[in-house]
Amino acid sequence: MFCYQCEQTSRTDGVNGCASAVGNCGKDAQTSDLQDLLIHAVKGIAQYAKRARDLGVGSNDAGKFILYSMFTTLTNVNFNPARFTSMLVEAAEIRATVKKAYEEAAAAQGVAIEHPAGAAAWTIPTETNELLAQAEMASIRAGEAEVGEDIVGLRALILYGAKGVCAYAYHALMLDEQSDEVYANIESTMDFLANDPTDVDALVGQALALGHTNLTVMGLLDAGNTGKFGTPEPSAARISPVAGKAILVSGHDMADLAALLEQTEGTGVNVYTHGEMLPAHSYPELKKYAHLAGNYGGAWQDQQTEFANFPGPILMTSNCIIEPAASYRRRIFTAGPVGWPGLRHIENHDFSTLIQAANAMPGFAADSEEETITVGFGRDAVLGVADVVIDAVKAGAIKHFFLVGGCDGAASGRNYYSDLVDQTPKDSVILTLGCAKYRFNKKDHGDIGGIPRLLDMGQCNDSYSAIQVAVALAEAFECEVNELPLSLFVSWFEQKAAAVLLTLLALNIKGITLGPTLPAFITPPVLNTLVEAFDIKANTTPEADLAAALAA
Amino acid sequence: MSQTYSICLNTQDGKEISFDCTADENLIDAAAKANITLPAVCHEGNCGACHGHCKSGDYKQSSHSSGALSEQDEGHGGILMCCTHPQGDMVVEVTSDLAHITSGPVPEPVCEVLAVDDMGGQVRRLLLKVLPDESGAINTEFEPGQFMELEIPGTDIRRAYSISNAPNWTGELEFMIRLQPHGKFSSWLLNGAKVGDRLNTKGPEGSFLLHQAGLAPRRFVAGGTGIAPMLSMLRQMAEFGETHESHLYFGLTTEEDLFAIDEIEALKASLPNLTAEVCIWKPGDAWRGFVGSPVDAFKRDLQADLGKGLKPDVYLCGPPGLIDAAEAVAEELGLPYSSLFSERFLPG
Repeated sequence: MFCYQCEQTSRTDGVNGCASAVGNCGKDAQTSDLQDLLIHAVKGIAQYAKRARDLGVGSNDAGKFILYSMFTTLTNVNFNPARFTSMLVEAAEIRATVKKAYEEAAAAQGVAIEHPAGAAAWTIPTETNELLAQAEMASIRAGEAEVGEDIVGLRALILYGAKGVCAYAYHALMLDEQSDEVYANIESTMDFLANDPTDVDALVGQALALGHTNLTVMGLLDAGNTGKFGTPEPSAARISPVAGKAILVSGHDMADLAALLEQTEGTGVNVYTHGEMLPAHSYPELKKYAHLAGNYGGAWQDQQTEFANFPGPILMTSNCIIEPAASYRRRIFTAGPVGWPGLRHIENHDFSTLIQAANAMPGFAADSEEETITVGFGRDAVLGVADVVIDAVKAGAIKHFFLVGGCDGAASGRNYYSDLVDQTPKDSVILTLGCAKYRFNKKDHGDIGGIPRLLDMGQCNDSYSAIQVAVALAEAFECEVNELPLSLFVSWFEQKAAAVLLTLLALNIKGITLGPTLPAFITPPVLNTLVEAFDIKANTTPEADLAAALAA
Repeated sequence: MSQTYSICLNTQDGKEISFDCTADENLIDAAAKANITLPAVCHEGNCGACHGHCKSGDYKQSSHSSGALSEQDEGHGGILMCCTHPQGDMVVEVTSDLAHITSGPVPEPVCEVLAVDDMGGQVRRLLLKVLPDESGAINTEFEPGQFMELEIPGTDIRRAYSISNAPNWTGELEFMIRLQPHGKFSSWLLNGAKVGDRLNTKGPEGSFLLHQAGLAPRRFVAGGTGIAPMLSMLRQMAEFGETHESHLYFGLTTEEDLFAIDEIEALKASLPNLTAEVCIWKPGDAWRGFVGSPVDAFKRDLQADLGKGLKPDVYLCGPPGLIDAAEAVAEELGLPYSSLFSERFLPG
C-alpha cells in the first residue's frame, strides 16, 4: 500500500506516506490496494461516461455509483475489503453498460468510436488474488519514476479534491439534490486523470475547475438541507444528557438523522448528535422533534472514549469512523458508504435493529444539569443582521473577522486553533464551521453589541454559507473579498477539506493559513506555485499568525 | 515477593497489549488484575479456552489436560494461559483481535427458558431469553463463536455451550446440546427443563471468533454439536450479506445422529457462496453422501485450495481428536497455523 491522502499520514525519516501493513488511520494494506483499484475502475467508467454524455446519452446512474464509490475511499469511511471487491464487480458491469450506450450512440450519430486506453480497457479480474496482484498499476504513485513527484502530487490534489466533491454530492443526493452538470464535471475530472496528465498548467486549471464544481455541489447540499429541514436559525443545543434510552448519531448525513428521528418518534428513545451532526439542532424540521435530546461528546477523534461511555447504540452515517473498541463494537452500526468488518450495516434507512438495541441498553439513568451551546448562524442568520454588523464595522466596534474552521484531529498541534481563538482581540468576530470548533465552542467568547463573537455556521460544507457571507459583506463595503478585514484559518484533515480548499482558491481567496501541517502530497515546488498565486501560508504560531493577520 | 515480568500479548490483528505478571501468578489472573479480561473458563487447564502461543520468553506450565493442549502443540510453543507462570518477560500470540479483548468482569445475566425442542440425533435446542437487569438493560451482546456458561437451576453446576443463533437485540440465545448419558445438564434438559424456568448464566466468553478483516475463503469443520458456533457465524454472515466463499463440513458418526439439516439448508438459501457437506463416519447402506470424517473431506479440498493459491481461514470445532487431526492436516499440507481458529469441546 501507499497512501498519503490525509493529514495524519506517516512522515518519518523524510518519507511522506503510509506504506506499511496498516496505515495510520487503521486501513490495512489489502483494503488500501482495493481502494486504489476501485478508483482505477471509476476512471474507466468516467472515460466512457464522459464520451457518452458528450453525445447526449449520459447516465446519472453511473454518476451515482461514482459518487458512492469515491466516498467509500475517503479517510475513515470504509475499512471493509469485502465491500470493495463487491464494488469492483459492480464497476465492471456499470462500465460495460456505459460503454455500450456510448458506442451505440456514436454509431447512430455517425461519430467515429473511440477506444480509450488505460482504465477504460482494464480487464477487471474477479479473483481477489489476481486483483490485488495489479494494485501497483493503480497506486497514486504509478508513473512517478517517469513524471516526478510534483506531477504525481498535483494529480493527487485533484483526485483527493474529487473525492471530497463526490462525498458532498452524495450527501446532496441523499437529500434529493443532484445535477447533470455536476455529474458531467466529475466524469470529466476522472477522465482527465485517466489520461495521466503531465502539464502543470493543465493540472492546476483542472484543480481550480474542480473547486468551482465543489461550490456548485455545496450549493446543492445547502439547497438539500434547507429545502428539507428549513433555514438554520440560532438555537440552543443541549450538551448534557437527559434520562432515558438513547441513540447517538455521528458522521454527517442529515437524511439518516431525519429518518431515524421519524422512526423513533413516540418510542421513548432519545436521539443525540455527535461530531458534525451538531448543526441538526438549528434546522427547524429536525429540532422540532422533542426527542432530539442534545449533542454528546466532541469531535471524531475522541469517539473511542465517548462511544464507550455512551449508554446506547451508535449510528455512524459517514466519515469519520475509527477502529471500534471492544466495549462498543457490538453496538455501533454503519450506514451509507461507511463500513468496518464485523459491524452491522444498515440499508435503506431501516433502523429497527438500532432501535431494538437502544431499548436493550440502559440509556441515561438521570437528567444531568442543563448546559447548552448556541448553533445555527448560517448565512441567513448572519445576513439577517447584516445592517447591525456593517454598522458595527463602520463604528469600529468590529475591527476584524476570522474564519477558523475545518476538521479536527488527534495531533497535538491542533491546540493551535484553540490558542488562536483565545487570543483574538475582543473587537473581532469568529466564524466557525466543521468539527475543528469543538476545541473552542464550549467557551463563552462574549458578544459585540448583542452579536455573539463566535458564530457557528454549521458543518464543513457550510463553508458555502461562509462564502456567501463574505461575498455579501464585500458587496456592502464595495470591495473585493480579499480586501475585507477577514482572515481564514483552515484546518484540514481529509479530502472534503481538500475540496473546500480548492473552492476557496478557485474563488481567488488569498492569504489562507492552512494547517496544522501541509498535505504530504504538496511538494515544495507545488507549494511555491500556490504561494505565488494565492499567498497560501502554513501555520507557524498562533501569536505570529494572528499578528500577521491583524497587520495585513 | 516473587519476580515480576512483563507480558506482551500480540493480537490477531497485529496489535499489542501488555501487563505485569509475577512468577507465582498465571497469565489469566495477572491480566485480570490489570482489568484485561482474557478468554478463560475452567482456570484449571481443562477447557482450552485460554489457548495461546509463546513467541519468546521462558515459562513454566502447571499440569493440564492433554485434550486442551496436545503435546504436539506444546512442542510448538502452545500454552494454556491459566497454567502458564512466567520465568522471564514473555511475548504471547493470542487468536483474539484487540477489539475482542474486553475489560472488567464477564456479565452474569439471568435467563428464562423460551423453548426446549428435540432436533433429532439426541440433540436438544435450548432457547433462552436474557432478562433485564436492575438498570432495565438486556445484556445480550456477543460475537458469533462465543459461548455461555449455563447453571443448572437449583445447583451450582455450570456447563459451557456455544451460542448458535446470530447476535441480536431481542435477548434470545440459542444452544444445541447433545444429550450425554448420565450428564447432569442433559438430565435437567430431559427431565426438568420447562418453559419459564430461570437460569443463572455467565458470558459471553471465548475467543473462537470470525476473522472478519480478511477476504480469504472460509472453511468450517464441525464435529457433532461443534456445528453450533459455526451456525452463529454463518447466520451473521447471511444477515450481513457477506460474500466470502465458504464451505461447511459437518461430521456425524451415523445417520441416526443427523440434526440441524434444515438450518443448514436455510443458510445455503441465504448465503449464495456457501456450500455444505454432511460427512458420516459409519453410514448405513442407503447413505449417498461423503463417507468418513469431516477432516478427511477437508483434507481433500485443502489440497485443491492450496494448489490454486488460496489460503483459507479454517474454523474447527468439536472434540479434541477432530481438532488435532485437522491441525495435523494443515501442517502436513503447509497451511500456516495462523489460518486456523479452533474451539475444543471437552467433557464438562
